[in-house]
Order: sequence, then C-alpha cells, then structure tokens
Amino acid sequence: MLLAYRCAFASERVAATAIEANEFPQLAQELGVWAVPRIVIDGEPRWDGAVPEPEFLRRILAAA
Amino acid sequence: MALLRGEEEAKVREWFAALERPVELLVAVGPEQTPPAGARDVDFGAEMVKVCEGLAELGDGVTWRVEDEPDGFPRFPAVSIRPDGRDAGVRYDGLPWGYELGSLVGAILEAGRAEPSLRSESLAELEMLDRDLVLDVFVTPT
Repeated sequence: MLLAYRCAFASERVAATAIEANEFPQLAQELGVWAVPRIVIDGEPRWDGAVPEPEFLRRILAAA
Repeated sequence: MALLRGEEEAKVREWFAALERPVELLVAVGPEQTPPAGARDVDFGAEMVKVCEGLAELGDGVTWRVEDEPDGFPRFPAVSIRPDGRDAGVRYDGLPWGYELGSLVGAILEAGRAEPSLRSESLAELEMLDRDLVLDVFVTPT
C-alpha cells in the first residue's frame, strides 16, 4: 500500500486509495478480490500481492 | 482505549515529531450511518473519527477535521491524507483496523516529508507519465 501512496505524493498525476475490502464487499466482489493486496488501476484489476519498488513502477507505467 | 501499545505509541510520537511539514486528516463520515451487513452496532464513521483524533494526539504536526460528504469521496467512512492541507489524491476508504493502521501512519509520514522517499529512478519514471492514473489497493486488516 505504501508504494502506491508514495507514488501519489510524488506525482500529481497519480491518485492512490486503500480500500478496506471487508467494508465494501460489493465493490470487492465486482473486482474479484480474493487475495490482498489487489492492485486496481483505473478500475481494472491488475495484480495481487506486494512487489518491489522497481517492479511496481514498471507495472504502473505499463498500465498508463 | 489507546490506539497503540505503549512502545508503538512512543515510536509513532517520535516519527510524528520529525515531520517536516504539517499533515491534515480530512475525515468523511458520510451520510447517516447504515451499518454494513455483519457490522452489528459499530458506527464506522465514529470509529474513524476516534482513530484520526488518536493519531493527531501523537504529534503537533498532525491535525484532523470532519465533514459529512466532501467532494471526491465515493465511499464512507474515509480519510484523505493532506500534506500542508492540500488534496494530494491519497485516501483510505474504510476503517484502518489492526495491521492497516500502519498504512495510515505510513501515509502520514510520507505526507510529512519535504521530499518523496521513492528512489530517484522511480521519480524519473513518474515524470514520464503523460496521463493521470488512479491506483486502488484493496486491503484487509490482517
């Protein structure tokens, strides 16, 4: 989660929200959340699990 | 009830004392509570206020305020973490129970830094973004 937050604080182009899956079960179900952390970019599920910073950046830039 | 155990609280106080700029927590409690299924009688909005009030007590650089339904909040309760009171697009939607309290503390620490903690290579890569990106990260408290 913190990497997403760090990117948002560092770039005006990035917004980052943590969503507590248990409190928003309908949204979690719509996005197929079975494992956490699940990373969703622009409303599209991308991957599950923590990754190192360089890989995180590579993946979000690939999604841009 | 204290938010953190003694040792943890002392550590967070130490971290918050080192903040390089003020951080505001804007709490959105939402419309009148309709407790989610299984929530029994927990008032999640009131709990969120307690969490943010409790964190703000640990450092002069951390303040909080409450609005019912501010713009830009699709879910409630939620908290926006704002460096110098500025909306940086960083929120936590839902109550940060247990382990996830660390995510909120981590967001406050990052917001309070004068310079980002990302690697210089990462900052250079973010500079290459030519459109806005919305990252949602689903988490659970354990």
